[in-house]
Amino acid sequence: MLKMEDVSFAYENNDSGRNLTDINLSVDKGEVILLCGESGCGKTTITRFLNGLIPNFFNGNREGNVYLKNESISEMPIYEISRHMGSVFQNPKTQFFNVDTTSELVFGCENLSMSVDEIKKRLDSVVKDFNITHLLDKNIFKLSGGEKQKIACASVSAVFPDILVLDEPSSNLDSQSSWDFEEIIKKWKQQGKTVIIAEHKLFFLSDVVDRVIFLENGKIAKEWSIEEFKNIDHRSFGLRQIDLDNLTCKRNEYYSQNREFLQLRNFKFRYGDTQVLDIDDVKIPKNEIIAVIGKNGAGKSTFANCLCGLKKSCKGELICDGAVLNRKDRLKKTYMVMQDVNHQLFTESVLDEVLLSMDEEDVNLAEDILENLNLIHLKDAHPMALSGGEKQRVAIASAIASKKEILIFDEPTSGLDLKNMMRVSENLKYLQNLGITSFIITHDFELICESCSHIIHLDDGKIIDNYNVDDKKLRDFFLNQ
Amino acid sequence: MGLKLNFNLDPRTKIIILAVLSFMVFNDASLYVSSILVLIPCICLFFSNHKKSAAIYVACYILAKLIQIYILPNATGFMAIVLITFSYTVSRMLPILMMGYYTISTTKVSEFIASMENSSIPRSIVIPVSVVFRYIPSLIEEIRSLTNAMKMRGFGLNVKSLKNPLKLIEFYMVPMLISAVKTADELSAASLTRGLSNPEPRTHLIEVELTKMDYTFLAITCIGFGIYAYNFLRGVLIA
Repeated sequence: MLKMEDVSFAYENNDSGRNLTDINLSVDKGEVILLCGESGCGKTTITRFLNGLIPNFFNGNREGNVYLKNESISEMPIYEISRHMGSVFQNPKTQFFNVDTTSELVFGCENLSMSVDEIKKRLDSVVKDFNITHLLDKNIFKLSGGEKQKIACASVSAVFPDILVLDEPSSNLDSQSSWDFEEIIKKWKQQGKTVIIAEHKLFFLSDVVDRVIFLENGKIAKEWSIEEFKNIDHRSFGLRQIDLDNLTCKRNEYYSQNREFLQLRNFKFRYGDTQVLDIDDVKIPKNEIIAVIGKNGAGKSTFANCLCGLKKSCKGELICDGAVLNRKDRLKKTYMVMQDVNHQLFTESVLDEVLLSMDEEDVNLAEDILENLNLIHLKDAHPMALSGGEKQRVAIASAIASKKEILIFDEPTSGLDLKNMMRVSENLKYLQNLGITSFIITHDFELICESCSHIIHLDDGKIIDNYNVDDKKLRDFFLNQ
Repeated sequence: MGLKLNFNLDPRTKIIILAVLSFMVFNDASLYVSSILVLIPCICLFFSNHKKSAAIYVACYILAKLIQIYILPNATGFMAIVLITFSYTVSRMLPILMMGYYTISTTKVSEFIASMENSSIPRSIVIPVSVVFRYIPSLIEEIRSLTNAMKMRGFGLNVKSLKNPLKLIEFYMVPMLISAVKTADELSAASLTRGLSNPEPRTHLIEVELTKMDYTFLAITCIGFGIYAYNFLRGVLIA
């Protein structure tokens, strides 16, 4: 079906060697293949070779050949490839051309000049297959992450491709939506389609993948059948856990000895007629790493925004060390590290970014903070030129510099490999050491196991559970959905 | 669906009306002509489920016109400056803004592409313009997050940031530009994998054609604009 022969590649602007070296890979019809490995190992580059973005969109130095049904892909224009191959990408914000769902579902068919009757037939068939009648004629921007990804899958399916290439499709999905995604892949498999999926997050894939390709520095380092793969030590390969049952929480004890509390009072927020946040009075341990969990739409983001003082109509009060903090006080004491950190880095160098946050600029102190976060060698670099993890650390550095006492992280590990996830967890512990309380909005069970000591469980805008980490309860939430 | 009226103009009609309204910023039309033309966005908004915006718009416009007719001739000093600024901004800019708002909030990207291609406008113009349509909701989300991020850093409408307004603009523009470039890049890659570069003519599921409604609106616009242009030219010639 698909064959890569001695493929090597280096991107145009890459001076540090090849991104792919001597890749030989052959995929049979109906197989589901998982590509895994650390960030930058070449997974995404392979998917780009398959869907024709290399050489049609990304330029570089390329050797070897890719064959689709015995025809060389490099001779084909990309729209011919797209008749056979559907691609789903990581970022739901940028893979939609339309604003409304229905137009997006038929976009591919329209581009390939299918007749209107044929398009109608296909639209009906994918709507039935994916069970998305309720999502038709909706604004894509108003859908949840899981729904967006469902629309993305249905839209590529409407072209009836034989092969699907997925590049980290679950990065922005919560655990329920990830399991839903497994169902989609299973459906494709039943229909005899070939699926190639590049992913860090593995737990939802153990029942559907046939073969695993492990990449290291642009080379295929290992190849396993799924049965073999389940029994390897994932950590030693730098991979995320495939079976969440193997995880246990490491923080059954609280970090801080003197049990102090933060008290939240009257945190309420309405959006139109719906009460999206409804918290009367709750006590949460101070100076801990607190995971905020709950389904999509449970009110986690609203909770974070209200806690930071970003929502004017939320009249809640935070009581900390006997002081009652209203909205404006909280804006000064709290800081949110956003999921898209790009939004919160404004200046031209890492050092400036930290200085900007200080009331009185103090270069020595700023350099100390950078030193501790392992950023000092980058102090003159432009924040936008850094990697995702480094940007996140710069945001943390500026929060420390402005003497924030409460930090809120919005999905700090979405799309991260094991190494980077562990780094985030180290950063959280470092902040705990400085006396800072961190709230982590997360779907990442592995991160919670590594670092969190307390859990707040939100559902329908209410805190339905508030407890010291507990394996059993967490497992109930993450596994039995 | 309930009692929802099936009111939708063709994107071409919307754009022509928008262009005519924009032209009228340059000069004051006679009250009757401009009243008819400013009513168009109001009617459009009213029938496409934006009743509240339509009402606020008309109220603001009438208020501005009343100020111009009854209060301005007798107003003096600082108050006059404030009233002039307010009433002229509203009476000249608001119709365009509302028509723009109507156009963007009620036009689907696919509808826009279909109607433009029906009029044989080349794809090299249609696709970039349609991406602009598509980008507006992203841009709004973007500005919201940036504003939040700045508030947390102590910027916003306060003394610290007003001391240096240029910096504030820079803080908005740089992340916005960077994210625009990134979005454009990822969006083009995704569209390519979905066959956008196919040279054969696209097909369209959505049906667009100029209806009686379109012709009515276009006729009213043309007549209004004709009178406006006649008056304007006569004014120029006499002077």
